[in-house]
Amino acid sequence: MRKLKMSCADTSPLISERMDHSLPLMKRLRVGIHLAMCEVCRYYENQLKVLRKLAQHLGREEGTTEARLSPQARDKIQKRLDNGI
Amino acid sequence: MAQEKTDSSRWVERYGDSMYHYTLVRVRDGSIAEDIVQTALIAGLKAQESFAGRSSEKSWLFGILKHKIMDHFREAKKAGDFDPLPDDAPDPGDYDAAGHWKNHPRDWKIDPEKAAENKQLSAALAHCLDGLPDRFRRLFVLKEIEGLDSAEICNEFNIKPTNLWVMLHRARNQLRQCLEGQWLKK
Repeated sequence: MRKLKMSCADTSPLISERMDHSLPLMKRLRVGIHLAMCEVCRYYENQLKVLRKLAQHLGREEGTTEARLSPQARDKIQKRLDNGI
Repeated sequence: MAQEKTDSSRWVERYGDSMYHYTLVRVRDGSIAEDIVQTALIAGLKAQESFAGRSSEKSWLFGILKHKIMDHFREAKKAGDFDPLPDDAPDPGDYDAAGHWKNHPRDWKIDPEKAAENKQLSAALAHCLDGLPDRFRRLFVLKEIEGLDSAEICNEFNIKPTNLWVMLHRARNQLRQCLEGQWLKK
């Protein structure tokens, strides 16, 4: 039987992986055991959740428009639209 | 009969910047983002008859834009930009011999549900994303910003699931280190 106790190096990739799909029972169990004992890996899990929310926010259609089309690009696109090509 | 109309002469003025922002977040490079916005608007111009007024003009144009952005990623795949590299293996430098974190994650004391309220942190993520290697950035964007299913990413870009997990973990770990190093110093 594989050992239940895992290191942070073994666990952290699984913490990331389970952000994306549920793990098989055995892995899930081992991650759970590690997380119960390891504060630092719990921080990592929280950070990944924060990253996900931030990324979703950053990618919205109504994102902050700090980035602007350059005047040149704006003119170029406008001309093409006006000329219908 | 009254019908919803598009007004292509005002698209750049109305939607240019927000379309550009939306694209730039996903593709990083400014001139590529400009090209994609242009391609999307021209495609919109040619397809105006298909605009039935069922959605707003804006969401219709963003729908076209999303397709053009995915086309860009597909082209990157054709160019081999999604092929695995030897250094996509787990980075042994992140952990010591006993398997402990070398640069261990800290307590951010942030509730994920409230993370987006933190403007500084959002700006920091945009900055840190641009510091990622292209291949990591692309996969992180597809997963976390586009919200694609892992299976979709693997199928569309011909990536093995194990490879995807490794690369996403490394991308995420680099991002959190970048955020900690620069913006969350105590």
